[in-house]
Amino acid sequence: MTYQLAVHRRTPRLGRRLTLTGLALPALLLMVVVNAYPLVFAAIQSVHSGSLITPGPFVGLRNFADVLGDPGFWKAAGFTLIFTASAVFGSWALGFALAILLKPQFPGRGAFKVLLLLPWIVPIVVTAMSWNWLLAGRESLLPSLARALGMGNVMFLGNPTLAMITVCVFKVWISYPFMMMMCAAALESVEASIYEASAIDGASKWQQFFHIVLPVTARSTYISWILMAVFSINDFPTIYLLTRGGPLEATSSLIVLAYKTTFLDFLPGNGIAIAFFMTAVMIALSVVLLRQIRKASLQ
Amino acid sequence: MNDKAVFAQPMRRRTFLGGTAAAAAALSLGINKSWAQSGERIKFWDMVWGTGQSYTDAAKGIADSYVAADGLLNVEYQSIPWASWYQTFTAAGAANTTPAVSSGAAYLPFYFMEEGKMAPADDLLASLDKAGKNDFLPGLIDALRTKDGLAAVPWSIDLRVLWYRKSILEQAGADVPTDWQSFIKTGEALAKAGHVGFATSGYGFHGIASVLLNNAGGLFNEAGEPDCVTDRNIEGLDFLHELVAKQIIDPYAIGYDYSANVVPDWASGHIAMGFEQVGLPGKMPAETAADLVVASPLTSVSGNKGAAYWINPLMMFKTTASQQSSEAFLAHYLDNLHLFWEQGLNSDLPVNKSITDLPLFQNDPNLARSINEWQPVGKTIAARAKYPFGALNAVDGGSAMINMLQKVLQGESNSRALLEELQVGLVKVLNP
Amino acid sequence: MSESGSLHRPSATPHPWARTTIAAIITLVLLSPILVVFWLALRAPVAWQQAGPTLGTFWYVLTETKVLHWLGNSLLVSLISTVCSVLVAAPAGYVLSRGRGGATSAFSLFIFVLQSLPAVAFVIPLFIMFANLGLADTLTGVSIVYVASSIAVGCWMMTAYFDTLPVTLEEAAWIDGASLFGGFVRIILPNSLPGILSTALFAFLHSWNDYLVASVFLRSESAFTMPIGLQTFFQQNLADWGPVMACAVIMLAPPVIVFAVLNRYFSIGGIGGSLAGR
Repeated sequence: MTYQLAVHRRTPRLGRRLTLTGLALPALLLMVVVNAYPLVFAAIQSVHSGSLITPGPFVGLRNFADVLGDPGFWKAAGFTLIFTASAVFGSWALGFALAILLKPQFPGRGAFKVLLLLPWIVPIVVTAMSWNWLLAGRESLLPSLARALGMGNVMFLGNPTLAMITVCVFKVWISYPFMMMMCAAALESVEASIYEASAIDGASKWQQFFHIVLPVTARSTYISWILMAVFSINDFPTIYLLTRGGPLEATSSLIVLAYKTTFLDFLPGNGIAIAFFMTAVMIALSVVLLRQIRKASLQ
Repeated sequence: MNDKAVFAQPMRRRTFLGGTAAAAAALSLGINKSWAQSGERIKFWDMVWGTGQSYTDAAKGIADSYVAADGLLNVEYQSIPWASWYQTFTAAGAANTTPAVSSGAAYLPFYFMEEGKMAPADDLLASLDKAGKNDFLPGLIDALRTKDGLAAVPWSIDLRVLWYRKSILEQAGADVPTDWQSFIKTGEALAKAGHVGFATSGYGFHGIASVLLNNAGGLFNEAGEPDCVTDRNIEGLDFLHELVAKQIIDPYAIGYDYSANVVPDWASGHIAMGFEQVGLPGKMPAETAADLVVASPLTSVSGNKGAAYWINPLMMFKTTASQQSSEAFLAHYLDNLHLFWEQGLNSDLPVNKSITDLPLFQNDPNLARSINEWQPVGKTIAARAKYPFGALNAVDGGSAMINMLQKVLQGESNSRALLEELQVGLVKVLNP
Repeated sequence: MSESGSLHRPSATPHPWARTTIAAIITLVLLSPILVVFWLALRAPVAWQQAGPTLGTFWYVLTETKVLHWLGNSLLVSLISTVCSVLVAAPAGYVLSRGRGGATSAFSLFIFVLQSLPAVAFVIPLFIMFANLGLADTLTGVSIVYVASSIAVGCWMMTAYFDTLPVTLEEAAWIDGASLFGGFVRIILPNSLPGILSTALFAFLHSWNDYLVASVFLRSESAFTMPIGLQTFFQQNLADWGPVMACAVIMLAPPVIVFAVLNRYFSIGGIGGSLAGR
C-alpha cells in the first residue's frame, strides 16, 4: 500500500497508511465478500454447459462462441446502443434544460425542484404499470388520442419500432431527474460574474450557452454521461417491466437477453457469457473515457 | 511502537468500527425473522393457484389441520408468489433449500427429476391405490410419468376451453362456432361489431398451444425430439394467420400483458371469445361472469378435436427430513382438495373423479361441459412425446415459442418458415 | 434552451410568474404518468361494483391486505441498509478524497469495476451463498446485498463532498494533536452533514426500489418488501387497478416525504469529481 497523504506530518507514514487502510477496509471487505463467490461461480458456469442447478460438462469457450454467432446477440447489442445513447443524451438534454429553467429564483421554484424528481423516486414497478395503463391498450389514453387525431391504430408497445422508441422515452423520463441534479450542481459553479462580463462584451444568450456554460460544465457533463451509460447498460427492470424485451425481441437489450437466456431458456452458460461480454466492454469503455477526462482536466 | 499519533486514539477507532459491527449485529438479530430451520416440521410450498388471499388461507388451513401420525412430521405451509417463481425454485434447487413438498408449475417436476432432486411419487401412488383413492381422471398420471418414475401427482388441471359472451354473439348475429370454418365466420361477425374473437396477449403461449393441439399437432416426436414442421402445425398456424388477417385477433394484442390488458378487455366486453382457463368467470365482474358460456370443443380443419391443458403437480423433493412424512402429508392434502372447489377458490379443474362427480360440477353447465367434453381430449405441450422432460420448461415460457407467436401476430404468414425457425430454436434449448 | 438567457441576472427576471407558469406546464406533462397513479387509486375495488372516486380503496387496502406489513419490512430494510451504507461509505470516501498514489487509484478502479457488474448474472450464485449462510429469505440477507451494492455510488458521493472541505480544516486539528482518524471523526464528519444526507438518500432509494434481488431472495410473504408485495398483489388481483394503485401510492409516499424534507441537502452533482478526480 502506498498511500501518500497530503499533509499530516505528525503522523508517521506507516500510521497514516494503517489508518487509511482501516477506513477503507469495511467497504473493501464487504464488496469482496459479496461479489467474490458469485463472480467465481459465474465464471465457472460460463465455461460449462449445464442447468441452473448443476454445472454440467466443461465446454471451454463454446458458450462465448455460440453467443457471438447468434444474430439475436448482435440485435440486442444494437438495441443496447440505442437505448443507452438515448438514455444518456435524452435525459441529459432534458435535465440540462430543466436545470437552467430552475436556476433563477421564481415563485414555486422549490416545489418544482422536488416534484420534478418524482419519476426517479417513484419505484419502477409502479411507473411501469402506469405507463402500461397510458399506452398499451386500445382504449388507453394515448392510443385513443392518436385515433382521434386520425393516426389510426398506434401501437406503442405492439409495433417493434414504436416499442423501441417507447422504452427509450420511458428510460429518459426515469433518468432526467438524475441529470437535472448533476447539471444543477454544475451550473452552480458557473459564476454569475462570468455572465455579466460576457453580457457586457455583447455575447448573445446562445453564445453564452455554447461558449461559457457548456465548456465550464463539460467535465461534469462527461462524467454524468459515463455514469448514465453504466446505469443504462445494466438496467434490467425498466425494460423488462414495460415490455419484457418484446415484441419480437425488439426491446431486448443485452441485460434483458442475458436474463431471458438464463431464466426462460434455461441456458445459464450462454446467459452469463452475454453478461461477461457486457461487463468487459463497459469496463474497457469506462477506463478509456475516465482516463481521457482525467487528462483533459489536468490541462 | 513509537507511533504515538495512531496509538493515542485506539479507542476511537475501535469505537467507530465497533459501531459498525454493532449495527451489523443488530441487523442479523433484529430482522432475521423467517427461514428458521425447525427440526420437527417439513416444509410445504404452494403457489397462489386461485383467488389470492382466500385461496392461500384455505390451503394453509388444510396444511395446518394436518396432524401427523406417530413418528411422522407435521407440515409448515409457505405461500410462494408467482413473481419470479422460476428463480425461486431453481435458486432453491441450486442451494439445496427446496422444501419437502411443493405444488408447482406444470413442467417443473421433470426438470428437477432430471437434476436428481425429486423423490419419485410411485410409492405414494401405490398407497393411494391400496386405499382405493386413486381416482385421477384418465391420462393425467401417464402425462406425469418419466423414464425414471412418476415425477409428481396431479392436483389440478389448467384446461383451456373456448369461452364466449352469449349476449355479444347474439347482438352480432353470430352462431356459436363448432369448427374452424364457423369460428372464422363468427369471428368476422364479431370483428365487424367491434369485438375481439380470439383472446391472446403478446406472450399468450396458451392460445397458440390450444390451436395446435386442437388440430392434433405437437412440437415433438415420440422420442421427445423437436419435430415442429408438420402438416398439422402448418394448418394450425395458417388458421391463426387468418384470424390475424381478418382482425379477429386484436391488432393491439402483441403488446399486451395478460393481467393488465387481456383480463380488463374480457371484463369490458371488448373480447367476446377465446381460449381461457375454466375459472375465467371468477376474474370477472358479476354481469360479465353470468354472460360467459363454454362452447363445445371445435372440430379442426383436419377433423380432430383436442384441447391444451397444463397439469399442476404436487411434487416431493429429496430435501425432506422424512420421505414417509412427505407422502403421508400429500395423501392428506389430496383427500382435502375438494374444499377448494366447494368454496370456489380455485380457477382450475380438479383431477379426481370423486370431485368432478360432485353436484356443484355437474349442475353448472360450463363446468360440466369442461369436464365431460374438454378434459377427455386434453393434451399437454409434450404431446406425441412418449415421456415428458425437463426442457419443456424452456419451451413453455421460452423465447422460441413467444417469438413465433409474436411473428404470427405481426402478420407473418409463411407458416412453414415460422415452424422451421421454431425447430431451430427448440433444438437449441433442448441440446445445450 | 431559450430560457438560458435569463441565467445572468437571476433575481431580476422581468416576469417571475411567467417562469412559474412554464415550469408548471412542464411539470404537469412530465408528471402525468404519476398523476395517473393517484387518479386510479381512487377507483373502488371491482368487487364493490361502485362507480365514482372513493378514498375507501385506501382503507380497503390498509385493512384487507398486508401492505402495512410490507411497508414495515421495506422501511426496516431501507433504514438499516442506509445507516450501514453511510457507516461504510463515509470512511472509504474519505480515503478516496484524501489519499494519493497507486493504492487509492486501484481502490477507485476496483469500486468502478464492481459497479459495472450486471446483477442479473450474479443473483443466483448470490442466493446460493446467502442460503448456505442461512440468510436467504431474510431481510438481513437483502440488507447486506443492498449495502454492498450501494457502496460504490455512496463512496463517490462522500468523496465528492469531502473534496469540497479544505484540508486546512483537518490540519488545524492535527496541529492540536489529533490523529488522522481523530480528525476525520471529530472534524470532517460533523462538517459533512449534507454529504452524509445525500449518500443516505441515495442508499435509501436504492434499497426501497430494488426489485431484482428481493424477487429472488424473498419468498415468504412475511418477509416481502413493497415492490415484491405490490407485484404479487398485482398478479393476484389482475386488473383491479384501484387497490393496486392505492398500494402504489402508499409505496411512493415514504421516499417522497423523505425527499421533500431533506431535498435541500441532496446533491449528486459532485459525484463526478470523485470518479475522475484520481
